Amino acid sequence: MKRAALGGAASAALLLCWWGAGIRPAALVDPANLRAVGAFAGGLFPPDFSPGFLRVVGEATIRTLGISVAGTLLSTVLGLVLGVLGTASLWRRGPLFDAQRPGPILATLSLVARAAARFLRSVPDLVWALLFVVAFGLGPLPGTLALAVSYAGVLGRVYADLFEAVPEGPVLALHSAGASRLQVFVAAIWPQAAGSVTAYTLYSFECCVRSAAVLGLVGAGGIGAEINLSMRLFEYGQVTTLLLAFVALVLGVDAFSRALRGRFRRNAVHGSGVLRDAVEARPRRLGSRILWTLLLVAAVAQAGFGSLAAPDLLPHLWRFTRQLFPPDLSPSFLASILAPLWQTVAISVMGTALGMVVGAALALPATSTWMLDPEASLRPLRGLLYAASRTVLALLRSIPELIWVLLCILAVGLGPFAGVLALGLHTAGVLGKLYAESLEEVPPDPVEELRGIGASGFQRLLWAAWPQARETLASYTLLRWDHNLRASTVVGLVGGGGIGLALYNAVQLGFYDRAATLVLVVFLLISVTDGLADLLRRRKPAPQAAPESALALLAEAG
Amino acid sequence: MSFELQDVRVVYPGRSGPVQALDGVTLRIGGGERVAVLGPSGAGKSTLLKLLNATLRPTAGTLRIHGRDATALRGRDLRSLRRGIGTVFQHPSLVPPLTALQNALCGRLASWSLWRSVRALVAPAPADVRLAATALATVGLAERASSRADELSGGQQQRVAIARALVQDPPIILADEPFASLDPGLTAQLAELLFHICEGRTMVAMLHDVHLALERFPRVVGLRAGRVQFDLPAREVTPGHLSQLYAHEAVG
Repeated sequence: MKRAALGGAASAALLLCWWGAGIRPAALVDPANLRAVGAFAGGLFPPDFSPGFLRVVGEATIRTLGISVAGTLLSTVLGLVLGVLGTASLWRRGPLFDAQRPGPILATLSLVARAAARFLRSVPDLVWALLFVVAFGLGPLPGTLALAVSYAGVLGRVYADLFEAVPEGPVLALHSAGASRLQVFVAAIWPQAAGSVTAYTLYSFECCVRSAAVLGLVGAGGIGAEINLSMRLFEYGQVTTLLLAFVALVLGVDAFSRALRGRFRRNAVHGSGVLRDAVEARPRRLGSRILWTLLLVAAVAQAGFGSLAAPDLLPHLWRFTRQLFPPDLSPSFLASILAPLWQTVAISVMGTALGMVVGAALALPATSTWMLDPEASLRPLRGLLYAASRTVLALLRSIPELIWVLLCILAVGLGPFAGVLALGLHTAGVLGKLYAESLEEVPPDPVEELRGIGASGFQRLLWAAWPQARETLASYTLLRWDHNLRASTVVGLVGGGGIGLALYNAVQLGFYDRAATLVLVVFLLISVTDGLADLLRRRKPAPQAAPESALALLAEAG
Repeated sequence: MSFELQDVRVVYPGRSGPVQALDGVTLRIGGGERVAVLGPSGAGKSTLLKLLNATLRPTAGTLRIHGRDATALRGRDLRSLRRGIGTVFQHPSLVPPLTALQNALCGRLASWSLWRSVRALVAPAPADVRLAATALATVGLAERASSRADELSGGQQQRVAIARALVQDPPIILADEPFASLDPGLTAQLAELLFHICEGRTMVAMLHDVHLALERFPRVVGLRAGRVQFDLPAREVTPGHLSQLYAHEAVG
């Protein structure tokens, strides 16, 4: 009875979202659209490897790398400030305040830092980039700054959490010996947290590289800008080359940061901390020194800091800032936001649902424990299916949502349906891999016992693996929806409908007070759902031993 | 003839070189026989059990089950062979989130089509439900049918495993230390239950409990260091046999 009611409510909600997200399956088979997709697919090969274009690709790749290095550096500095200030155990509550009350000014400042970090990370980096493009003009600088502020918000929270989580013994010891707050931080908190801080910063660098490539779509330079340009010129062979460069860059950066992390971990095992590694190891290793220097030079040279020297920058910034305030809060404008807001939610729901279905369909042949069953007949065919589905999943998730939007616009035209398809395809790649891996990683004994009484591979998957994995799968899906809601606020910036489209129009038409309101609405929407997701996560201990790769995937590009 | 093992060897790839788990075992067990296998820990009892329920292939030698060469089968044929062999483990690994009834139903999986096993997970056929419910009633768990397996006690889980074997209704039942982890009162109760359902079937039990083996099993096999040390009717097993079976390895 209760189940039927829940099911009814869910289907009603899905229907509403179907309607709200403007889903038109007919568009998929429309002859004109099919021709466009055909031309695109045909044009992808051969990739454009002409020397002139390779030069363009090389420059764009280096620029993207430079933007992400500079963005990471700035966000680390700003994030450390926000993180130290936001550490509750230093300024607001906990054992340090057993004997004395927290100072009101510092306590307030600490709360403000927390709130600021929340604001910075709840506004998507693409929205920041859009605003900074208006403020600083086209080019890499808005991208660098967008990464700097949005990842400062992320890191500010992460650092504060890490600082609060250190074992408190050394903290109390120093405190009772009369050390000041900052001395406590420097001597007791930092050394204990430095390892995780480094690991998370490296991880945030990986995310920055993915984001940097996408920021170009709204005018911030780098690979994304070139992809946008080539799409407009119908030069699809160039798009292939650029996507290949993007994937190579992402893989290279991942390998680089994995290697670094491995080194830090080794040092931690041998008892020398990260600080010592930073001080002692560098002069010894000329190779890594050169690499670091190159990265830094690339960052400074390519991140667009030159634009800061423009003569009329300050007056321009001042004008822009004045136009943002006060935000347009007139009832008529607020009422006009409701429709795109609802559309955004509907896009995220339908995109997640599509990703769930496609991902699950691909996860079945991608689950090695039953596909690669040594006792099954037709093994070569199964091996082939396994490899094919894994490849498709990797392809789907390696292309960022926003680039999928550009491709889906070809297939179904501008509008929310393109946004749904784009979110759905990327999500399928992410969820499909997570589903397959969760099914592979269930406790094996019950599965093995069913093998012993004659259950086939698929039956073992269905009766032993799925029941054990379903809660994990559900929470992955929910977390991914949270991520998709954030993404669906920006798909409109490149033509995918929803509140992003309203924001894009407001900025293009120069209604900056309306843009400010829309940014606030996006902030509210995302911080409310993030809060809800946090609550759910805390109530239901989600995948407890979620592997590192899963976390990486979940947070990918966001 | 239920089982025919001829000079069977099993070698596992160990961390420090290969490990010989069974070293030339020859054993014939006829239909309807009731055999206890005794032996110290590490004698190879669990390996033997995996061979008998066709989840492990011998490294060398021949293994025939119901007259069929178990090493040559694959896919559907292998599954139908396994369908005829029920196994009750020392620590049964039920599927934790499934109910007792669903776990008992698993005994039918091997005889279901793919589609039927999909449907049965959501809405099993009434006839199947009756079958599983009857089996649960036989083991005295009728009122826990809709409890999740991970909410049951160890003894109750073992009874669900026995119910699953009942639902499977195989001509052969294997038992791996079925009562080693239970308190004495429960052991007696469950032993009765197991013997009851094994009436008319071939039964092979790997046991620690020498008294239980000698009292209830007509034939006893002693396994030590991967070899059959004795294979005798229970009344011919002497204390000498047993002390030799469990003797500590000579040092050096």
